Amino acid sequence: MDRVLTVEHLSKTYPNGVRALNDVSLEIPTGMFGLLGPNGAGKSTLMRIVATLQEPDGGSVTLGELDVLREKDQVRRLLGYLPQEFGVYPRLSAQAMMTHLAVLKGVPPDELKETVDARLRQTNLWDDRKRRLDTFSGGMKQRFGIAQALLGDPKLIIVDEPTAGLDPTERLRFHNLLSQIGENIVVILSTHIVEDVSDLCSRMAIISKGEVLLTGDPAGAIERLDGRIWSRIVERGELAGYERDHHVISTRLSGGRTVIHVYADARPADGFERVRTELTDVYFSTLKRAGAAA
Amino acid sequence: MLAEILRFELRCQLRQPVFLLAGAFFFLTTFLAVTTDAVVIGGSIGNVDRNAPFVILRLLLVMSIIGVFATTAFVANSVLRDQETGTQELFFSTPIRKRDYLIGRFAGAFIVALAVFVPVVLGVLLGSLMPWLEPERVGPFRAAPYLQALAIFIVPNLLFMGSIQFALATLTRSLVATYAGVIGMFVAYGVAGSLLSDIENERLASMLDPFGAGALDIATRYWTVAERNTMLLPLDGDLLANRLVVLALAVLAFAFAYARFSFAVDERRGGWRWPWRRSRTRANAGGPEASEAAETAGSVLPTLPAVAPHPTLAISGLRQFVHRARMEIAGVLRSTGFLVILAFGVLNMIGNSFAVDRLFGTAVHPVTHLMVNILQGAFLIVVLVIVTVYSGELVWRERTARIHEVIDALPVPNWVLWGAKVAALAIVVAAMLGTAILTGMGIQASRGYYAFEIGVYLRGMLVLAGIPFTLAAVLAVFLQVVTNHRYAGYLLMILYFLSGPVLSAWDFNHNLYQYAQAPSARYSDMNGFGHFVEPLVWFSVYWAFAAGMLTVAIHLLWVRGVAGSLRDRLRLARQRFTRPVGSVLAMLALGFVGTGSYIFYNTNVLNEYIPGDMREARQARYEQRYKQYEDLPQPKVTALYAEVDIYPERRAVDIRGRYSLRNKTGFAVGELHLSVNPQVTVRSIDAPGLRLRLDDPLGYRIYDLDAPLAPGDSMELAFDVAIETPGFVNHGSNTSVVRNGTFFHNVAYFPRIGYSRRAELNDPNDRRRLGLVPIQRMPSIDDAAARENHYITSESDWIDFETIVSTSPDQIALAPGYLQREWTEDGRRYFHYKMDAPILGLVAWLSADWEVARDRWNDVAIEVYHHGTHRYNVDRMIDAVKKSLDYLTSEFAPYQHRQVRIVEFPRYRGFAQSLPNTIPYSESIGFIARLDEDDEEAIDYVFYVTAHEVAHQWWAHQVVSANVQGATVMSETMSQYAALMIMEREYGPEQMRRFLKYELDSYLSARGGELIEELPLLLVENQGYIHYRKGSLVMYALRDHVGEEALNAALKRYVEAVGFQEPPYTYSREFLSFVREALPAGMESIVEDLFETITLYDNRLVEATYERSSDGTWVVNLQVESRKFRADGEGAETEIPVDDWIDIAVFGEREPGSSPDGKVLALEKRKIDAAETVFEIVVDEEPRLAGIDPFTKLIDRNPDNNVASLSAGDGS
Repeated sequence: MDRVLTVEHLSKTYPNGVRALNDVSLEIPTGMFGLLGPNGAGKSTLMRIVATLQEPDGGSVTLGELDVLREKDQVRRLLGYLPQEFGVYPRLSAQAMMTHLAVLKGVPPDELKETVDARLRQTNLWDDRKRRLDTFSGGMKQRFGIAQALLGDPKLIIVDEPTAGLDPTERLRFHNLLSQIGENIVVILSTHIVEDVSDLCSRMAIISKGEVLLTGDPAGAIERLDGRIWSRIVERGELAGYERDHHVISTRLSGGRTVIHVYADARPADGFERVRTELTDVYFSTLKRAGAAA
Repeated sequence: MLAEILRFELRCQLRQPVFLLAGAFFFLTTFLAVTTDAVVIGGSIGNVDRNAPFVILRLLLVMSIIGVFATTAFVANSVLRDQETGTQELFFSTPIRKRDYLIGRFAGAFIVALAVFVPVVLGVLLGSLMPWLEPERVGPFRAAPYLQALAIFIVPNLLFMGSIQFALATLTRSLVATYAGVIGMFVAYGVAGSLLSDIENERLASMLDPFGAGALDIATRYWTVAERNTMLLPLDGDLLANRLVVLALAVLAFAFAYARFSFAVDERRGGWRWPWRRSRTRANAGGPEASEAAETAGSVLPTLPAVAPHPTLAISGLRQFVHRARMEIAGVLRSTGFLVILAFGVLNMIGNSFAVDRLFGTAVHPVTHLMVNILQGAFLIVVLVIVTVYSGELVWRERTARIHEVIDALPVPNWVLWGAKVAALAIVVAAMLGTAILTGMGIQASRGYYAFEIGVYLRGMLVLAGIPFTLAAVLAVFLQVVTNHRYAGYLLMILYFLSGPVLSAWDFNHNLYQYAQAPSARYSDMNGFGHFVEPLVWFSVYWAFAAGMLTVAIHLLWVRGVAGSLRDRLRLARQRFTRPVGSVLAMLALGFVGTGSYIFYNTNVLNEYIPGDMREARQARYEQRYKQYEDLPQPKVTALYAEVDIYPERRAVDIRGRYSLRNKTGFAVGELHLSVNPQVTVRSIDAPGLRLRLDDPLGYRIYDLDAPLAPGDSMELAFDVAIETPGFVNHGSNTSVVRNGTFFHNVAYFPRIGYSRRAELNDPNDRRRLGLVPIQRMPSIDDAAARENHYITSESDWIDFETIVSTSPDQIALAPGYLQREWTEDGRRYFHYKMDAPILGLVAWLSADWEVARDRWNDVAIEVYHHGTHRYNVDRMIDAVKKSLDYLTSEFAPYQHRQVRIVEFPRYRGFAQSLPNTIPYSESIGFIARLDEDDEEAIDYVFYVTAHEVAHQWWAHQVVSANVQGATVMSETMSQYAALMIMEREYGPEQMRRFLKYELDSYLSARGGELIEELPLLLVENQGYIHYRKGSLVMYALRDHVGEEALNAALKRYVEAVGFQEPPYTYSREFLSFVREALPAGMESIVEDLFETITLYDNRLVEATYERSSDGTWVVNLQVESRKFRADGEGAETEIPVDDWIDIAVFGEREPGSSPDGKVLALEKRKIDAAETVFEIVVDEEPRLAGIDPFTKLIDRNPDNNVASLSAGDGS
């Protein structure tokens, strides 16, 4: 597929001095691309720039032959965008709003009804199509959001933090929806939830403080760490000692007790057990390394 | 705890931008009101100080009303903040006491609302220190008026509105609903105000006025200049009652809110929904839980149905635009705020329709252009609010709803996004105007008037409102986009609305630099929109080009996605400035410059553009240069012959005239001075041996005579002048020469002999500024030389008059005199008029397409020339003419002419005027008056005006005063008297009393607006409120004392003595000497009270009781108080002892035809010579009311307390 998204040397500094993007370069192929990073990493800024909604200070973005920063209208014709946060017009039904968006997307009149109905059925909103959007629950709203992003057969789909705040059932349902999107278009999924990426993405990048820390496929990244992640249960009072002595990449609570993951080529100490490496470990170790380097 | 809540509240409120914005707005408005004449609040005019207590009181009161909108923001915010920010659970779960919470919040909001008035006070204080103010008009600083305004108006009004808003916000939990409630209150306020605007209901209206404005008006309406400058408000009577009621209501509203408030979290979040909508939503929704349950109950996710991919999307733009505009329009039309404001406009129109063009309480037929006027006056304010508010709402709609990132990433061109918003605003404007038109038709239909003139509605609305407001909408969107800040956009828009009047007041009058402005236009039934259309169209096109350029700027700067820095926005703008955009901009700029140039060519090249200050400066220069010649001996005009060709189509007149001049002075006249209207083209002015020495473009010419004109000698002066109206002007277009309804005077356009006082500036403030000495409005009554001229014209005494006037074949042309011949020549219609006896030298020519109604009275022909549809009152006029001729010929003297002609002219001017045998009569003062036969109360002002004008044929055209103080007593006051007598014969004394009530009110109200000095009637200097209004009261009172027969006999002798006299002319002292002869013995002093001084009374019934006596009669005991004052020219009063014969009356039951007080059981004049007097009066029937001067024949500023009901005495 020739429509591959290339981001080169993208920078953006906000007037308040925050460096949202610092010389970011990415090569994004077709398929589901996960953009993973903590809150405030610059993901949304990057997403908005790619979605033609924000101007960078420098760098370029190209989608196939298109210059995203200049040929905005052309890009928008190929774009489906679900922003991180979106509201609704008051007093408007789901169907009316979807129809409106479909018209704006350029769905031809003779296909309008068919398309709108299909999207509503696809996202299981058909029974609620006459309801006012402002009465929708969070999950229904996100489904509506992805339904509108799919209007008009886009070649580039950007979904920004779509699963934040969803309950597990809704998240699962949302993952199912995303997984149906064709493989031959570019889908960028920005998230701070590792499972979103591990469940869905064939390619990924980890971004923090405006810089790309890692790119590649999740499986390869896991493989590179395989066998070097060790875990043990520690007492609260011992935590500081472990953090001093070992390369602790994450701590979490399990049943009220603290579980630490440590990166080491060999068993760091007694009581540590080798665990199967997961994407979470890749994520935290990458962040940790970047933090140490900074 | 209360203190902490209060502190917290203050901190939150003071950080709101609304606080700063409101403060800035208030400061600016008051500052401008005090320092300029552009913003008028409070009414500082003439000799009233700019910081007079009266001005401060009014200004602060008005601000306290405007301030309601800011208060709403503060109060509603204090109630709704927790809910909007989602912190209510946090607050409500703490152990705060309800009392502390509510009182703390309300007090905080109230204090902040009060704090907004600090800038108001600063505005007045700083304003009155500004160096450009005339020191004569700045009084000393006094704290008392500020404190009084604070205590009487600001605090009660803020408490009242605040607590009502508090209750509304607590109940509805919605900002929009709270604002809607506030606007609803204003609706009720406005409607009640206009319904009760008539003099008959004013007290009720003032009690119902929650802001105290009505009570203030009533308390101060008769204040004179001196009182306005010094007096504080007496807090008693209606005002006190009104204020107490308002405070009580405030407490009630707060108590209500307090009782209804509960700490439970309200589930209705973020919006006020109509109850029925809520239930419907619930009914068909089933709730999110239900559908989700159904889904998880084992349904399988459907797979993606195959929708054929379409390589090219259907993005023509147009389809998106239409769809989008529909969405935007629906967004506005369905919002509660819009509907409430629209309802306000509609109700305001209905309310105002009761007051439109009402004269003496009598209504007019609701013709369409009056509906358009109402619409302009009462509805456009609403359009203005909507355009301003919804420009912000629409521009920020996506961002407010947080859907902008979805919309902005869609493949629609920028122009669709902003274009739909601009189009939506334009259509909303159209929809509102459509509603207004329907309202206008509704008003017409409700009064049984069905001659809807749709064309007048549509054209009026399009040109006067539709186009300007659409242009304003573009500007509003532009400001929102450029500033990218909603409140900054609003603020700039408000500044724009203020800029028009401010610029005009500073004499920047040209519409070429006042966005969306065009020359004002007036509709007349006779002349339609006439010549106003052409400039309106050109200016509309010109500003449309400007608006087009603004849309290009909107296009370039439109925020899509994240706004970014200024640099980002400019970079994007450069990106969007494509070749097509550039060419569009170039074309618009070309159109703008092209139309602008054409307009400039018309307004500044073909015509002269004269801003206000330049005009005043010219008037001043004319006076400074040529006043020296005012008393120069000059010959007088003894005959005028004129050939006048009127060309209505091109609004032009050619005048070829000839004066016969005679030297009536004792000196040889060697030079001839002429004043010429600078707007008149002089083709030639010629006489044998005449040589031009000076020709000043200000309009003054001096000619040398080869052979001086010896005393008693005559000469002929021929002149050829033209009135031309090329192209169109920026302002002040000629409304005398028009397509249908031409009406102009010789004194306006003909060359005049000598210096003309007509051009002198009147306002003492203007004169001071331009370095002129204080004006002498009229020569002193003791100036013997001035008695050589009469006051109508100084250049002639009595003249012979003859004219040949031609016009278009579809029109009739008229001038004083009798028609000698009428013919058609070269497609034009000619009329030859000739007067058979000498007349005063004020004549006019009229031309229009009239219908003519004819009648006769004895050998006098009566003709009414009226517009085709204005037949309503023609018979009434004819009847009034006949009855006037009856009275005037029998009481004073024979009628000198054989004809009375009433001639209608367009409503550009609103008077009637008596010329020899011809009475031009404006279409606005009687032709459409609605006099219902069944309504006996209605004052027939058509009859009154007609009688007044007919009376002028005696009182002006037979008896004419010298040009000295008091001159108008023998014309205007006497015509008022005659009209009153003629009316009383027709309608009876009860209607006269109602009429005189209006006269008293007009006189007393106008005194405070006097620019120079109020004079006694005897010395009146052409002051309308004195010679008409006070004149009516004086003559009616005089008649009451003397008796009509005796008075008229004296007047008849006076007419015989001075009628048609040659100079020196009569004057008011001579008139008074005839009146004195008729006075009964012991009454001589009333002349002093009525004519020679400004005398006022304060009469009051203190107490009255009655008891039945043994013989079946009723004995009434009255205690009355009577005080008498003399006022000086500024209205400062001195009390003098009372020594007068005053009416004492007792009234019984009301009967049909009786006065509103009841059947008169006793009415007699009693001598009153002490402040407190007790009377006993015996009547035959049971009395109900009694009083002193019950019909207000004396000038009494407080006539309401003259009559009161009786209480039964001990013996009954």
